[in-house]
Amino acid sequence: MADPTGFVEFARVEVGHRPIQERVRDWKEIDRPLADGVLHEQAARCMDCGVPFCHGVGCPVVNRIPEFNDLVYQRRWREAAENLHSTNNFPEITGRVCPAPCEAACTLALNDDPVNIKHVEYQIAERAFAQRWVAPIRPARKTRKRVAVVGSGPAGLAAAQQLARAGHDVVVFEKDDRIGGLLRYGIPDFKLEKPIIDRRLEQMVAEGVTFEPGVNVGQDLSARYLQRTFDAILLAMGAGEPRPLDVPGADLGGVHFAMDFLTQQNRRVAGDSADEEDDEAIHARGKHVVVIGGGDTGSDCVGTSVRQGAASVTQLEILPRPPEGRNPRTPWPGWPLILRMSSSHEEGCRRRWSVLTKELTGSGAHVLELRGCEVEWNEGPQGWEMKKRPGSGFAIPADLVLLSMGFLHVVRRGLVDALGLELDVRGNVVVDRWMSSQPGIFAAGDTVRGASLVVHAINQGRLAAAAADRWLQAR
Amino acid sequence: MIYDLKCANPGVPVSVKLVAEVGVGTVAAGVAKGNADEVLISGHDGGTGASPLSSIKHAGVPWEIGLAETQQTLVRNGLRDRILVQADGQMKTGRDVVIAALLGAERFGFGTAALVSLGCLLMRKCHLGTCPVGIATQSPELRERFAGRAEYLVRYLTFVAEEMRRIMAPLGFRTVDEMVGRVDRLDCRTAIDHWKAKGLDFSAVLAPPQPLNGCALRCLRAQANAHADHRDGEILRRLGHSIETGERASIEIPIRNVHRAVGATLSNRVVSRHGPGGLPDGTLEITFTGSAGQSFGAFLAPGVTLRLVGDANDYLGKGLSGGRIVVVTPPAAPFDPKENVIIGNTVLYGATGGEVFVNGLAGERFAVRNSGATAVVEGVGDHGCEYMTGGVVVVLGRTGRNFAAGMSGGIAYVLDEHQLFDTLANLDTVDLEFLWHREDRDALHDLIARHERWTGSRQARRILDAWQEMAGKFVKVMPIDYRRALERLRDREDVGDEATPATEEVFRG
Repeated sequence: MADPTGFVEFARVEVGHRPIQERVRDWKEIDRPLADGVLHEQAARCMDCGVPFCHGVGCPVVNRIPEFNDLVYQRRWREAAENLHSTNNFPEITGRVCPAPCEAACTLALNDDPVNIKHVEYQIAERAFAQRWVAPIRPARKTRKRVAVVGSGPAGLAAAQQLARAGHDVVVFEKDDRIGGLLRYGIPDFKLEKPIIDRRLEQMVAEGVTFEPGVNVGQDLSARYLQRTFDAILLAMGAGEPRPLDVPGADLGGVHFAMDFLTQQNRRVAGDSADEEDDEAIHARGKHVVVIGGGDTGSDCVGTSVRQGAASVTQLEILPRPPEGRNPRTPWPGWPLILRMSSSHEEGCRRRWSVLTKELTGSGAHVLELRGCEVEWNEGPQGWEMKKRPGSGFAIPADLVLLSMGFLHVVRRGLVDALGLELDVRGNVVVDRWMSSQPGIFAAGDTVRGASLVVHAINQGRLAAAAADRWLQAR
Repeated sequence: MIYDLKCANPGVPVSVKLVAEVGVGTVAAGVAKGNADEVLISGHDGGTGASPLSSIKHAGVPWEIGLAETQQTLVRNGLRDRILVQADGQMKTGRDVVIAALLGAERFGFGTAALVSLGCLLMRKCHLGTCPVGIATQSPELRERFAGRAEYLVRYLTFVAEEMRRIMAPLGFRTVDEMVGRVDRLDCRTAIDHWKAKGLDFSAVLAPPQPLNGCALRCLRAQANAHADHRDGEILRRLGHSIETGERASIEIPIRNVHRAVGATLSNRVVSRHGPGGLPDGTLEITFTGSAGQSFGAFLAPGVTLRLVGDANDYLGKGLSGGRIVVVTPPAAPFDPKENVIIGNTVLYGATGGEVFVNGLAGERFAVRNSGATAVVEGVGDHGCEYMTGGVVVVLGRTGRNFAAGMSGGIAYVLDEHQLFDTLANLDTVDLEFLWHREDRDALHDLIARHERWTGSRQARRILDAWQEMAGKFVKVMPIDYRRALERLRDREDVGDEATPATEEVFRG
């Protein structure tokens, strides 16, 4: 254990952000990493619990958290990096964007502030890259089996890396022009700078993974061709079907899905995209932006709109305002439903809860105003019931409406339909030990689970790769 | 041990905890014959958060097996009706309790589950005092974090009892007493039919024993009082007045080796009358003549001096708690005291305070686990000062091998006339030093002079007469951690911090 009484001696220190005035003028990452001495103390807070809830309950990839905390405390960084990479393919990414269920499950979170696990992870990963410890891990022997991975998000990349290391020839197909999926085009640069992905892709290329961006399997390549050419197929194309807004006026100009908006900005930062004056461009400059949906994607829309120079940003959420701090409904060590203030919210945004959008109105083809009302939630016999509050109607100006109300399921059109995969009631691909209803076709990530965390995607990618490997080896 | 404890606190039941393993029934039978009031069969699943992983994983067998063997042995030998049987080891549900009762237990221990109901998180830090939920710690800051309430425990045990009732009702039992030992009512077919249990034979575990002379299946009567003839009875009669008033008194009394734990009940009386501080030094003095039995002067309280002219068996001064024991070779003895063993093995086991002066040699394991007593002896057998954590031991003669094994505290001074001691001592945890500090020499001289005064030892006289020369022949045995702890304490004293016992300071490291 790091330090038996560290948790008593040292208080948690949060990772700082660059000042708001500075950071909203660029697209660089906003975190200010902790200094070495402070980090050492933060690692010392780990108690090396007899039952480490962070590891067993919190972390989806079951990171060996107490062990790497101790290694960092002892400044054995190289071993810490090896330890971390043994369970997590991309700690540099989860160290940035993971909501850290491990910290919610940390034993200290019960009656104190949890260990800063996520930042320890970040620092280990960054040091590993800085010291060039992240070297390609090449398989001892090749199996001569070919595996196609469809989709290059965290699930696809994790699966591809694991399969390549097992000795298979892996080809990753990506419909977009660059590899990375939602990491590349879903998460704004201020949370995850894209060179971070590129340096990891270098390692994967050196390990023998072939990347084929710009290929939409199902359209550009037929499902049958894929099945003929590869010994196994692993589907990791995410849950791309956004939940639509079903109100009058939703088809007006200026109403967009969040992902279209965020992707454009990431392309712009990468220097790939047309400028903001383009007809197709979605840009918030000088506009009254309304973001519908109070999740993480919504908050990314807020941060991006602020950086683009929006006149005002309002975020609407249909659910009631969650309580502040731990509450008995979502007890430790589970993930607490509490009011969260993201860095984007700090940058200037009005948040409203218990709000239902009823209508979008505009002049001609463009949206100008959002009309809604407040709702009440009451727990009934069939669960929570929503009721409109009489006389609470309101209208707010809205030049740009961004829809971030979550995702429904995998996009069926194309590959999923062509392969004839069985789907569950939610529309996700049904798997048994990670194999879909078609033999040799595996699936992982949001495709199976519905939209979820990066870390779940990595975990499922690893598990599905292991299952595919076993299946291939057995043949 | 059972006898010693019963003497040290008459009327209090004694329970002996045994790890469930093959042969535990035989041990339990011995415990019953040794007059214990209860035997506890502890299964392999348990273990505190302080126990090492090797013990948790590799010690013992399931309590079901140990309990069945214990019950069968006790019933077959007609011992079951006079001893209570308890079982524990990860009991959690009413079902566990009912099975334990049917296998023969009438008492049931809950450790982990009860603690978890109060907030335990299985941190396995009980030995470090850093329990983050304030259970296994003395730190006021951490105890603030304790979030448990007695009601939680009550609720948990109520559920356990409720589940027991649900199982007992269809079995037709109205009370737990009716259930004890009814192994014939245990149904295990479904469990044995499981594919993993194929090939396992439980018939020995589930065999109902044939009672000897109609012995009951549970405890129905108390153990016999084995202390009616205890030597302290006479001492208390003669010294009863002095114990009450604290007046000085001295008596003489003969002793034989059937008299065990002499002084234990007397100490109990002294302490219950005057508190743990006992009486002022030298208030009660008892001189025995003869051969003392085991545990002479066990748990002896402050203010009591036992002089023994003769010899003593093992366990002299066990748990010595502040009293003084003096053992003198009879003046008429034809042998040389410094060449002859006059007290047995394992002297001062777990002593916490007091003094022992022995005019002769001691057996093996002298002052094992001593944490505070002072002793002067004229020679010891093997393994002297084993696991000692505090106190002072002076050896005025030869020692056996493996001296100071695992010694982490306290100091020993050994007269090393033949310069062989460094080949006999176990130097894993200790350093050997010469007495080059004035205080060391003075302290040693003082102890030897008192030894001479109490026992009239010729060896002590010889050393004191040639002190300048003999002092150079003594070796000081100093545990390495203990020296560091003392240095830390001294540093802290300089800055005026509060006092910490040295043994605790060693533990903190």
